[in-house]
Amino acid sequence: MKKLIAVTLGILTAFGGFVDIGDLVANAVVGARFGMSLAWVVVVGIIGICVFAEMSGRIAAVSQRPVFDLVRERMGPRAGLVNLGASFFINVLTLAAEIGGAALALELATGLNYLLWVPPVALVAWLVMWRVKFETMERVFGLAGLALVVFIVALWQLGPDWGELTTQLTRPPQDEGVPTYLYYAIALLGGAMTPYEVFFFSSGGVEEKWTRKDLVTARANVFVGFPLGGVLSLTIAACAATVFMPVEAEPDSLGQMVLPVAEGVGKIGLGVVILGVFAATFGATLETALSSGYSLSQYFGWQWGKYVVPGRAARFHVTVLASVIVATALILTTIDPIKVTEYSLVFSAAALPLTYLPVLMIANDPDYMGEKVNGRFSNVLGSFYMVLLLVVAVAAIPLMLATKAGQ
Amino acid sequence: MSEPARVLHARLHLLDRQVVRESDDRLLCKVDDLEVQPGDRPYVTAILSGPLALGPRLGGLPGWLMTETDRLFRGEERPGPYRIEMSVVTEIGSAVRVAGRRQDLALERWLTRNVVSRIPGAAGTEEQDAPESTLRVRERWEDRPDSMRLGGLLGRTVRGPSGEVAGDTVDVRLVQDGPLLAEVQQAFRLAGLLIARRRAGQLFGYERGPGLWRPSLLGALVRRMHGEIRYAEWDQIESLDDEEVRLGVAWDRLRSTADL
Repeated sequence: MKKLIAVTLGILTAFGGFVDIGDLVANAVVGARFGMSLAWVVVVGIIGICVFAEMSGRIAAVSQRPVFDLVRERMGPRAGLVNLGASFFINVLTLAAEIGGAALALELATGLNYLLWVPPVALVAWLVMWRVKFETMERVFGLAGLALVVFIVALWQLGPDWGELTTQLTRPPQDEGVPTYLYYAIALLGGAMTPYEVFFFSSGGVEEKWTRKDLVTARANVFVGFPLGGVLSLTIAACAATVFMPVEAEPDSLGQMVLPVAEGVGKIGLGVVILGVFAATFGATLETALSSGYSLSQYFGWQWGKYVVPGRAARFHVTVLASVIVATALILTTIDPIKVTEYSLVFSAAALPLTYLPVLMIANDPDYMGEKVNGRFSNVLGSFYMVLLLVVAVAAIPLMLATKAGQ
Repeated sequence: MSEPARVLHARLHLLDRQVVRESDDRLLCKVDDLEVQPGDRPYVTAILSGPLALGPRLGGLPGWLMTETDRLFRGEERPGPYRIEMSVVTEIGSAVRVAGRRQDLALERWLTRNVVSRIPGAAGTEEQDAPESTLRVRERWEDRPDSMRLGGLLGRTVRGPSGEVAGDTVDVRLVQDGPLLAEVQQAFRLAGLLIARRRAGQLFGYERGPGLWRPSLLGALVRRMHGEIRYAEWDQIESLDDEEVRLGVAWDRLRSTADL
């Protein structure tokens, strides 16, 4: 149990990347439309986020410097400001979507319109960030998110045609165009590797006061949390492929996306999955709101974090509060939360190289890392992913325009 | 004093690093710029921070907006940036650590007093203000027109003795053998400029020895973008006027960075 608690930071971070509101629905949509033919993208995403999260966790443990501090330090004030602008914008958009997502989960549970749930969700999220200790927060929401494991049970209960799912791995359906296929591939990769995951993960390492002694903890967080998040997102897609694909239906809401669980495990399963969805989206709310505070504070060198009392990090807490207010206002305009994340994912794909490049550079700098610099394996993988992310960054927006966001 | 003086590259090792207060690990600010005492042997006198230091380095519209917004809220006739004497710096590593009971920047103090302390449950706001007696010795951050900013030396066009363009400044080499500061430590002297043949922004540390060109793909790419990199000693520089650097010797006579 103690070991499980030590990796809740990784679980919370990963769930915010792989199974937050946008991905929950995107995975189901992808499963229903493309079967398992995009599963390889999720695997590429899991490996990529593991490589860079491991580097950023190692840097945080050895030098106590979180990712956005490094972005400014290595890329300089101008490129840093461009990245800050893009990341902050994406963070607030995603935050709005996650507040909406948590409210939608409560609508499923209570039948009360989600807009009524938006203000209380935002208020409680802010109270948690204002007063609850980082470790407590991470444990409660990391562990509660594990309720989503019910999707694995559901898939097993549904008894899919495993042979059919395996064939789908290599064969995209014929009726979808290549640009649409690529657009969803980029959206999935962007979702798996969103920049706020490393902002949150490395800042969380500093919040937990990691030192060189905690390198093992840092690695355990990475190699348990992110693969678990990835497996869940694959399972959601497989459930959707089993239930929706044969009848050519496309799930377009949270209520439809949890249907395979109701079919496989029944009412209790449905209750558990709604709890899981709520915990994952609420956790992602915390992750994105804190990340907006972390990135702005670390760029300007302000005192940040929950490891000091709130009165000693005024600019940080004001930033978090302001982000929550703006995001709440945005979602109360009745804008569709799921649409919001679809767009923000594609924009975040464009900002990815500017975040991961300095991480790769600092992880190789002996001034920071001493003998803990990257090995050859991390460098080969890291360089490969830098090339891949550059391609993705260039292709993201043209593909979105060409396919009208995947329609 | 037999050990060799410490050598730093200003942009790589100092600029944009986090400043941390030694006594309680509080994060104070970033090294937004460095103040330089000009002369025959110029040296770094202070760390500058805040919008009035960062704004000019950013340049363009964002830099102008940042500077002017800050000026609006400042009472002084000629406001200057937040300033930390180099003599109180105790360590330059992944962060820059400084000694003493230094106050937070104005925005943090204002927000603590007027916003955060009014929210229920705000612990820690009372630690904010130092007692009256220490407030009185608070330095006024006025601009020092006779000093120079190190950030202004970066990205300048370099011309050879006959006026032909030789390259672009990419970093400033600092050697800790300058005059004594506050009788505690020697100042970092501006020893020379690193000049790249092509204009390609930063070097990201890849000007250092080949053992540090990792990952190799990235190292090779950055070095290729910059072309040849050479090092001009301070006395090989003739003038620093008109936002340009004029060399006193030809490009071929400059040292290669491989010898550094």
